[in-house]
Parts: sequence; C-alpha cells; structure tokens
Amino acid sequence: MLLELLGLAALFFGLFFCAVGVIGVIRMPDSLTRLHASGKVATLGLFGLLLGAALLMPSIWLRLLVLGLFVLLTSPVATHAIAASVHRRREIVEELAESDAQAESTDLTAVTATAVLSRSRIQDIIDAQERALRHHTPDAKTKRDT
Amino acid sequence: MTDNSIVQAAIQLILLALVSLLIPASYRVIVGPSLPDRLQAVDLITTLLIGIIVMLALVEGTENFVDMAIALAAFAFIGTISIARYISEGRVF
Repeated sequence: MLLELLGLAALFFGLFFCAVGVIGVIRMPDSLTRLHASGKVATLGLFGLLLGAALLMPSIWLRLLVLGLFVLLTSPVATHAIAASVHRRREIVEELAESDAQAESTDLTAVTATAVLSRSRIQDIIDAQERALRHHTPDAKTKRDT
Repeated sequence: MTDNSIVQAAIQLILLALVSLLIPASYRVIVGPSLPDRLQAVDLITTLLIGIIVMLALVEGTENFVDMAIALAAFAFIGTISIARYISEGRVF
C-alpha cells in the first residue's frame, strides 16, 4: 500500500514536470530558453515517471534502470548538439550583417538606406548561406574559419 | 502488477494527460520559427513518447514494452545528433 502511494506520488511528480516543460516550450521567447525548458522533461519528468513505474511494478526495475541510465547519458549530448546548431546559426547571421554593413558603409549615400537590415533580407541571407553550406567545399570552410 | 482499481484509474489518467501533452509539443513543431526549434520540439516529443510507452507498460501489465522504450531512446538519440550536425555543419559525416 505504501509502495503504491509512493509510486503514484512519483508518477504525479513526473507528470507535473512534463507539463511544466511543455508549457515552457510553448511560452518561452527564445530558442535557448526553450531548450532549457525541454531539458526539464528529459530529466525530472522522465525520471519521475520511471521511478513511479519501478515502484508500482517492481519486476521491471532493472530495465527501467537501464532506460534511465541511457537517457541520462544521451539527453545532454542531444541538447548540446541542438544548442550548438542554434549558436552556429546566430554566428552566421551576425557575420553576414556585419560584412554587409561594412560593404555598404563605403559609399556614404547608401548608409542610411541599409542601416536597418530588414528581417526578410536576413532570412534571404540565411537561406543563401545554408545553400552554400550544403555544398561545403573545403575551400569555403577555411575561408569562413579565418 | 497492481490490482487496486484506484491505482489503475490514476495510471490511466496520467497516461491520458501525457498523450494530451503531445498536442502543444506538436504545435511547436508546426510553427517553430527556425529549424533548430523544430528539431528540439521533435526531441521533446520522443522524450514524451518514452514516458507514454512506460505508462502503457504499467496499464497493460506487459513487461516487454520497456524494451521498446529503450530502442526508441537509442534511435531518437542518433536521429537528433545527425540532424543537429546537419544544421550546424551543412553535412552529416
């Protein structure tokens, strides 16, 4: 009886953190803050559910432990890869805006026109850059890194 | 395996709540402004699915469902890593 009560408490704990994480993914304003919210689902939410399942059904505790360890190993790596891709994308946008502003500032009449880089223009630049990245010649990569 | 009907009802309620959490998560997949946002939302959905499979094993009383959850976790990890690498590097390998 006590075991079932503890198991149900752990299950509701996990469900609460799953709901919090999903609400955070909907409501947060930024990619990285959304990543922070979805990390809560992978650790606290899922581990609450696994602990509750192990308490309610003790015959499968070893498999649940293996699953928990696996998620504990892989989830931070996946989150880190996504965060790195977000960061790399931002770097591309900043580089391109900077180089664009430098190129335009050489002739003085065009400065005011391009001082505000419009959102659609930035999106066009990102698309062109992604098309270039897709082909990925080693020559272009060394130029980008220097 | 529990035979208490109140516990069974609570487990089914939690399973229902977890399944309904998939709807707002897929909202982020559809409207996510950029590619990493969608990838992250898909990752969140697979995490929720692992929880759903574990709850399903509790409801049905079937032990083998947990193996399915382990396999799903492994494949989701590989997929997320390769797509994230494709976004940031422009190639997978």
